[in-house]
Amino acid sequence: MPVVRLYYEDMERLIGASRDTIMGRLAMMGADIGKRAEEEHVDVEFFPDRPDLYSAEGVARAMQGFLGLKTGLVEYPIKEGPIVLQVEESVKSVRPIIGCAVVRGLSFTSEAILSLMGLQEDLHWGLGRNRRKVAIGVHDLSRVTPPFRYFGEDPARKFVPLDFAEEMSMEEMLQKHPKGKGYGHILQGCQRYPLIVDAKDQVLSFPPIINGELTSVTEETKDLFIDVTGTDGMVHKALNIVVTSLAERGGRIESVQVRRSEGDFVSPNLQPSSWTVKAAQANKLIGFDLTGEELAKCLQRMRLGAIANGSEVQVLVPAYRADIMHSWDIFEDAAKAYGFEKLDARLPRTVTVGRAHPSEVRKAEIREVMAGLGYLETMPFTLTNEKVHFQWMRRSPEGAGAVAVLHPISELHTILRTSLLSSLLEIFAMNQHHPLPQKIFAAGDVVVAKKTRMHLAAASMHSGANFSEIRSVIDAVLRELAIKAEIVPSQDGALLPGRGGDLLAKGRKIGCFGELHPLVLRSFGLEQPAVGMELEWGEL
Amino acid sequence: MFSENDVKVLKAISVGPSDPQSIAEKLELKVEAVRASADALSERGLVNVTKSVEEIFSLTEEGRKYAHEGLPERNLLQSLGSGKPMSELKAPAHKIGLGWLRRKGWATIQGGEIKPLGSAPRGLDEEILEKLLAGPKSSADLDKKGLADLKSRGLVSSSKSKEWRYEITEEGKKCVSGGMDETAAQEMPPLTSDMIKTGQWIEKDGISYLEYLGSTYRPRPYDVTLAADRIIPGKKHPYQRLIDFMREIMLEMGFVEIKGQIVQSSFWNFDALFQPQDHPAREMQDTFYLDSLADIPDYTRVKEMHECGGAVGSTGWGGCWKPEVARQEVLRTHTTGVTIKYLAEHPEPPVKAFGIDRVYRREAIDATHTPEFEQLEGIVMDRDVTFSHLLGILKEFYAKMGFEEVRFRPGYFPYTEPSVEPEVFIDGLGWVELGGAGVFRKEVTAPFGIEHPVLAWGLGVSRVAMLKLGLKDLRLLYQSDIEWLRETPVSIKL
Repeated sequence: MPVVRLYYEDMERLIGASRDTIMGRLAMMGADIGKRAEEEHVDVEFFPDRPDLYSAEGVARAMQGFLGLKTGLVEYPIKEGPIVLQVEESVKSVRPIIGCAVVRGLSFTSEAILSLMGLQEDLHWGLGRNRRKVAIGVHDLSRVTPPFRYFGEDPARKFVPLDFAEEMSMEEMLQKHPKGKGYGHILQGCQRYPLIVDAKDQVLSFPPIINGELTSVTEETKDLFIDVTGTDGMVHKALNIVVTSLAERGGRIESVQVRRSEGDFVSPNLQPSSWTVKAAQANKLIGFDLTGEELAKCLQRMRLGAIANGSEVQVLVPAYRADIMHSWDIFEDAAKAYGFEKLDARLPRTVTVGRAHPSEVRKAEIREVMAGLGYLETMPFTLTNEKVHFQWMRRSPEGAGAVAVLHPISELHTILRTSLLSSLLEIFAMNQHHPLPQKIFAAGDVVVAKKTRMHLAAASMHSGANFSEIRSVIDAVLRELAIKAEIVPSQDGALLPGRGGDLLAKGRKIGCFGELHPLVLRSFGLEQPAVGMELEWGEL
Repeated sequence: MFSENDVKVLKAISVGPSDPQSIAEKLELKVEAVRASADALSERGLVNVTKSVEEIFSLTEEGRKYAHEGLPERNLLQSLGSGKPMSELKAPAHKIGLGWLRRKGWATIQGGEIKPLGSAPRGLDEEILEKLLAGPKSSADLDKKGLADLKSRGLVSSSKSKEWRYEITEEGKKCVSGGMDETAAQEMPPLTSDMIKTGQWIEKDGISYLEYLGSTYRPRPYDVTLAADRIIPGKKHPYQRLIDFMREIMLEMGFVEIKGQIVQSSFWNFDALFQPQDHPAREMQDTFYLDSLADIPDYTRVKEMHECGGAVGSTGWGGCWKPEVARQEVLRTHTTGVTIKYLAEHPEPPVKAFGIDRVYRREAIDATHTPEFEQLEGIVMDRDVTFSHLLGILKEFYAKMGFEEVRFRPGYFPYTEPSVEPEVFIDGLGWVELGGAGVFRKEVTAPFGIEHPVLAWGLGVSRVAMLKLGLKDLRLLYQSDIEWLRETPVSIKL
């Protein structure tokens, strides 16, 4: 999750409350503060549903409401501007959506530039799915000449990308520029690449990869041109979050006319969305008992516009909120403002009878028997690998039904186990420095042909481990669990020939037992005789 | 009547005051056996046992060296002849020797030259060194002044030890002269079935004797304070104990236990839970995908919900929902997919269900991350249940788990609204986030005809294990150290 750095002094000024007041309530607004409080600042995380809190300004705006200092909808005036951006047909198959805005009268410190870049990156992550859905470009307006063009350009086009001194082609940027290497996959297979240029054909931006060096923001920058491109409506949300955040810093928002064949529009559009909700619905979900008036008060503290009309509330959701999809999202806001700690946390009157799953009841019987036989329970991983599971066990993977994962994270965990015995031998291998005899068992899930089955395996390792020992165990287990099985000589490669048996139920193999083959023991690095058994006892 | 040992020991003591070690050596018995007999004899007033604490002296490393080679002052004296200039005595051993030569009055310094004085007889300290060379000795056998000197020079060290002294009483003397041989009882061999059935037990002077096949036996008392060999019972895994503890809480609270497949379709694992198809959690780097496609149920209403919010007044996610994405199979990333499937099959209220099962995340393994771990999940679906009821259930659940102080922080999960992160207070750690909870979104429940609110919560059981079992490394749960399994008692407080 994005980490937002909040400087106490900055926050006190932006919010108009003391550090202690702010810190006392921040967590209850949904911030994860953790243990990252320093002398001058604190790093907090916000959930991905609230990208409007990814900047100090956004946090301050929300906190003012939460603390009751300034409530209700914030109105951001937009001055109608003269700048035009033309969207050409050539870009529509590549990256069709664009929103843009001008913000004037800013004064940047190096910290403020870092903070703006931080917000940009967090939005790329939170809303933009790593720039695929949303990519933001911020430009020093004084360096370029409107009107602007957004179009699909030949990848051979050259310009100087940000943080570089020399021209290179867009194609080259995808190979050589760090951002190109990071995000170039988004443009994979595209014949033309998106580009924004000014009236003199100077490059502002190559979305979603990199800006031109020409328009980079410095401490001298006063006026910004912001472009946000992408694939859906989140583009405008991201733009709204950026411009309102800059407005909180004293910037004046000015609109841009976007011209396209399917209809022109004025950007940004900070019109709030309008909802009508009923207090009764909120009460039914949250379990408090608010009047329409009280509900409206709560929503105003979340910086929503809210006017009660009897038990109904007319709600205006600010254009920078990306998370309000349904009336319940509005009710959650009300519950936060009301305070989770003030809700009456009581048990529901629902009457039901508890019931354990039959497989767990069975597992408890198995544990009782195995512990009674002196075996210690283990709970190994269900992920394993072909080498340990088949090769070392001298078993064939053919027809075993092992499920392989597509992108293993380590070569130790490539398949789901189809049996348990090899996992027990691995545990022996880790415990060779401890006194013998060692007797262990596991009762757990295996997956064969994508279906979950339940197995029991047990193994015993000591200098005198022999067939009759494990035969006694299997007899006891079958008797106690009332499992009927026929015992026949086993061909299992894991067992010493002539010293192993298979368990058959209705002609199907459900288990095996016997002395482990010395070659198996050696593969696991074991130096003492060991015997083992395995039994399938159920499936889901 | 006496045991054989009692007779031997009493006779040995009657020769003169003695101690357990010397009697044990003489009789070729174990010291413990001598002490047991002597204690028994003392109880009958035949022997006086005096216990005393004794200081035992032994040589230090330096002391041992001098005991072999002679004290430095002695060696220096011998090398002096009739006298030597001081300038020749620069070695460290010479410096030590010189100090003691003068202190003992064996030599004098005149005009930069050192000269021997008198005969320098062998000192008490030298005698003690020689005695101790044979082994540690008690202070009773050594000269006090000599010991004090040697101790101050760091040549001997002392330790305290318990000593037993045995002395025969008048009663004991009578007993010995009365010819106790005839009354001696033999050491009892291990008890046999036949002894139990045919033997006779008699009590004399407070001691039990067995008469068996014409002989009298006495069981030698053992030192019951000595530890025996360790045995370890077969046991449930400590982590399973915790899981069962949590299962019992859920069963007590009236929840039905449910289970589901490890291999799930993306449909049940993600789409049914209104996770957008481009959600980051669905990406390859977080989820184990399989190279296979699953059959999925009729998805019309789920697709509609994702694309435009269905009929519940939601905006939906927009875009185009693709069935082929939903068909991709995964190792379940949470147990919630199992839960929603169960709810879809049981849409009538009330439903209270829970599960504790393994879930899979594509994470590199380290002390606090494992690619698979247990998750607990519980749901309550009924008419008129609310978010406040959810908080009530959580409070009750965490209290039963032993976490008395719980607070609720707003949270976010894609499939619940409102969402909450419960935190519990742990001494020394402060507020610790433990799980997540919320009310299933309408967008989740409506496509399956679930009309009433579903309260849901879940938590990572291995996180609880770290707190309850005091684990520093999660791997210990799955790749267990057998000694840890052996040494963790079944009574471990959960």
